[in-house]
Amino acid sequence: MAEKERGDVLQGTLDMLVLQSLQLGPMHGWGITERLEAGSERVLQVGQGSLYPALYRLERQGYIASDWGTTENNRQARFYKLTPSGRKRLADERATWARMSRAVDLVLRMGEG
Amino acid sequence: MPTIRDAVMRVLGFARRRTVERRLDDEMRFHLDMLTEQQVRAGRSPSEARRAALAAFGGLERFKDDARDEYRSRLLDELGQDTRYALRVIRRNPGFGVAAALTFALGVGASTAIFSVVHGVLLRPLPYKDPDRLVVVWERQPGRGNDRNVVSVPNFEAWRARARSFERMAALVPSPATIGMAPNPEHVMGAEVSPGYFEMLGVTPALGRVFARSEERDGGGDVVVLSDGFWRSHFGADEQVVGRTLSLDGRPHTIIGVMPPSFDPPQFSWLNDQAFWRPFVPTDDNRGWGRFLLVIGRVKSGVPVGAALREVQGIAAQRATEDKGNEGWSANIVGLSAQITGDARLPLLVLLGAVCLLLLMAITNVANLTLGLVRRREHELAVRRAIGATRGRLIRQIMTLSAVVGVAGCLIGFVAALGGIRALVALLPPETPRSDSIRVDAPVLLFTASISVAAALAVGAVAALRGGRNGVASLRESGGRGSARLRGGSLVTAEVALGLVLTVLAGLTIRTFAELRSVDLGFDSEHVVVARVGVSGPRYRAPEVRAAFFAQLLSRVRALPGVQAASAVSTRPFGGMGPATTIGDAASAETADSVEADVRYIDADLFRTLRVPLVAGSTFDTHDGPDTPPRVIVNRTLARRFWPSENPIGKRLRVPMFGGIVPEVIGVVGDVHLMDARTPARGAIYLANARFPMDALDLVVRTNADGASVVRSLQAIVGALDPSLPVYGVTMLDDTVGRALARDRFTAALLGAFAIVSLLLAAVGIYGVFAGDVAQRRKEIGIRVALGAPWGGVIALVMRRAVTRAVSGVALGTVAALLAARAMRSLLFGVGAADPVSFLGVATLLLLVAVAATLVPAVRAARVSPLVAIRTD
Repeated sequence: MAEKERGDVLQGTLDMLVLQSLQLGPMHGWGITERLEAGSERVLQVGQGSLYPALYRLERQGYIASDWGTTENNRQARFYKLTPSGRKRLADERATWARMSRAVDLVLRMGEG
Repeated sequence: MPTIRDAVMRVLGFARRRTVERRLDDEMRFHLDMLTEQQVRAGRSPSEARRAALAAFGGLERFKDDARDEYRSRLLDELGQDTRYALRVIRRNPGFGVAAALTFALGVGASTAIFSVVHGVLLRPLPYKDPDRLVVVWERQPGRGNDRNVVSVPNFEAWRARARSFERMAALVPSPATIGMAPNPEHVMGAEVSPGYFEMLGVTPALGRVFARSEERDGGGDVVVLSDGFWRSHFGADEQVVGRTLSLDGRPHTIIGVMPPSFDPPQFSWLNDQAFWRPFVPTDDNRGWGRFLLVIGRVKSGVPVGAALREVQGIAAQRATEDKGNEGWSANIVGLSAQITGDARLPLLVLLGAVCLLLLMAITNVANLTLGLVRRREHELAVRRAIGATRGRLIRQIMTLSAVVGVAGCLIGFVAALGGIRALVALLPPETPRSDSIRVDAPVLLFTASISVAAALAVGAVAALRGGRNGVASLRESGGRGSARLRGGSLVTAEVALGLVLTVLAGLTIRTFAELRSVDLGFDSEHVVVARVGVSGPRYRAPEVRAAFFAQLLSRVRALPGVQAASAVSTRPFGGMGPATTIGDAASAETADSVEADVRYIDADLFRTLRVPLVAGSTFDTHDGPDTPPRVIVNRTLARRFWPSENPIGKRLRVPMFGGIVPEVIGVVGDVHLMDARTPARGAIYLANARFPMDALDLVVRTNADGASVVRSLQAIVGALDPSLPVYGVTMLDDTVGRALARDRFTAALLGAFAIVSLLLAAVGIYGVFAGDVAQRRKEIGIRVALGAPWGGVIALVMRRAVTRAVSGVALGTVAALLAARAMRSLLFGVGAADPVSFLGVATLLLLVAVAATLVPAVRAARVSPLVAIRTD
């Protein structure tokens, strides 16, 4: 099963990115991938193989909730939205991410005096 | 508490399975549609777009799998699914299920049964303390190829006193005795053992004590230790038995101890059941008896057996200089376990090897069946793979299928083996050592479990890797069209090769058995009753009395109705080892030209009774008595050896017995196989029992009456002569001869059965492969028929493949069979390990089986209608 997912998202950041994309409002799985791709100027590509398990996991953990809804072109789709605990989780993750990325940044700049 | 919530969700996941599945389906379909739309917008045709979307999606099924994971523990779930799938497949193909399970059962059952025997007889440690340090110490005559000779008392004493490598050393000698009183005397087998023997084995008595060192120093004394069985049968398991007396050969012995039921004394071919033990004490008398002791030693821990061997050989070299009788003699050490299992080892190992081959064939056949099944479902597999089921998942499903079949087969096989073991033990040759330790226990169960797992895994692996290949590739490649390659061809080769090895081994052992049966034994064993009568006690001390007793006994037996002839011999033919000595021609110099020859003491009528031809001269007569000059009858081999071109009658032999005698040759008789059919007859001399009266003789009675009634009359006659004498060792001579072939018969019968089964398995397996092959190539064959291929041509087309595979199987099998036959060469008789008749015959047989098994599919192929060619899938 050596199948490479295209444009993997950094390990461990997918949950945060999904939650962030739902910050903009409820969305179905397909829409989430579009949001992420568009938002990252097509740098980040989320494979469905990662996305749906992540969605199911987040829902089970209570960070997002889902329900059937209708898309703009009148199709049935499952829409996901942030729960209050999801918002809190997103805030936590963002804080952690900011701390981590600053730390990494600092290290990378060490040589530049 | 996230863990509790997780658990709840997981349970919910199982309960809400269908809801979850539907939601997944809907969600995935929506996603796929969106992807397709995107592709269409990018300018592709709808069908192209769909394919691209599928490709981009990377397999619908797999994501469903992954997503499902979030709801339940996946492995368990998949195992359940796969098992249900397997059961569904088997339910839809009951023929496959039954055939596969039964074939499995056959392999597992047969291997379990044989392994339990091998384990009981060969592998289970002997029931003594540190049994691998126990050894038998033999004398050995390197010059004569005599490796295991019993030991003389002075040599035993020298080894025991001088060797530092041994913790203990003890002598053991068979000691038959007559117990009880008239009118119910009984002959029982016991043994004399050195004090310290039981301690050396690490066993302690259940009651009383065993022999003390002082008993050896003080010259023994009349004490006896009883076996548990004898104590129960003759003393009613009396707890107060210690101190009571037991009469052995008319002498009272004090019972000092009883061994526990768990004590299983070491048994040797000439010393099996032991009812009691008496102390063995070296005396001036028995120091002069020559070699007759069995010596067992316990090598000190930390001392390698090789070092112990070198030490006793050193002592034997000293002894050779100390005593002229030890010239040319050395010493030898054999592990006790190897000594006891001895001759039984190789046949059992051959059978174990053969049954493993049978198991391999069974595995091959089940793999073949499973492969066929998988291939019939190839299209389904390809579709499922295309829509995203992973390769691993498909392989796991096939493995589960073989595991389900395997479990069923192993259970059936194991139950069958339980019955089979009982039958096998009943069939075992009577002299098989340790047959009472054959049972199904943890090691046997472990063996069964591990071969079962290995078998199921092997089947699954073959089916999954070869059958899954196309399913795993792509939909395009499969689709029911036949490939030019013969699928399962290597299985055909394997079947033929394995079948050939088994059948060749069976052929060789069956020919051996036939050869052994056709050996001219030199005597006629039909309608001959044999029974042993022994005299003991002070009344028979004088040789004349012994001779007179047997003469009178024989004259009364000859008068019985239905008795045609009656005689007596010191050791009956096929009755085990008798005395032997070194004989020389009295006319030539002392040591030169001497040969080892068997010695038998006989009544004059022996040759007529056993129908041994008298070649020259005459037999003994009334001139042979206690004080007459000794005379001798020799066999043809000995006569040829000493006097190839002269008349042997009137010549003299030098016999180093009875202080050295020089008897005159009065007759020459035909060679008789005294030991067994396998051992070629060697030189033998017959001395008159009237001149050298023995205290026990085998009576041989040729009769046309019922054997049992003759035995009853015989017992009555002995009872009338002396009611304190037992009659024992009663058999028909025919049965004794038959029993001597029991092991060869057992091996030949089992290998023969294995060979028949292997031929059936090969036929079924080859049939399966070619039936599948023809079914798969119906279209190609149809085209050929449509183009005018003749009937015979189509058959030849199918046959050619079969024969090619069978020929390579024959080549492979012949090489393997040659190696296997070489390894079991010592079991063969009258037939070479590379016997061309067996090899060619079996190779032809296997080719015929392959052709026969292919014939039905080939004929079916020839009947394929040309219409098939124009039909589409």
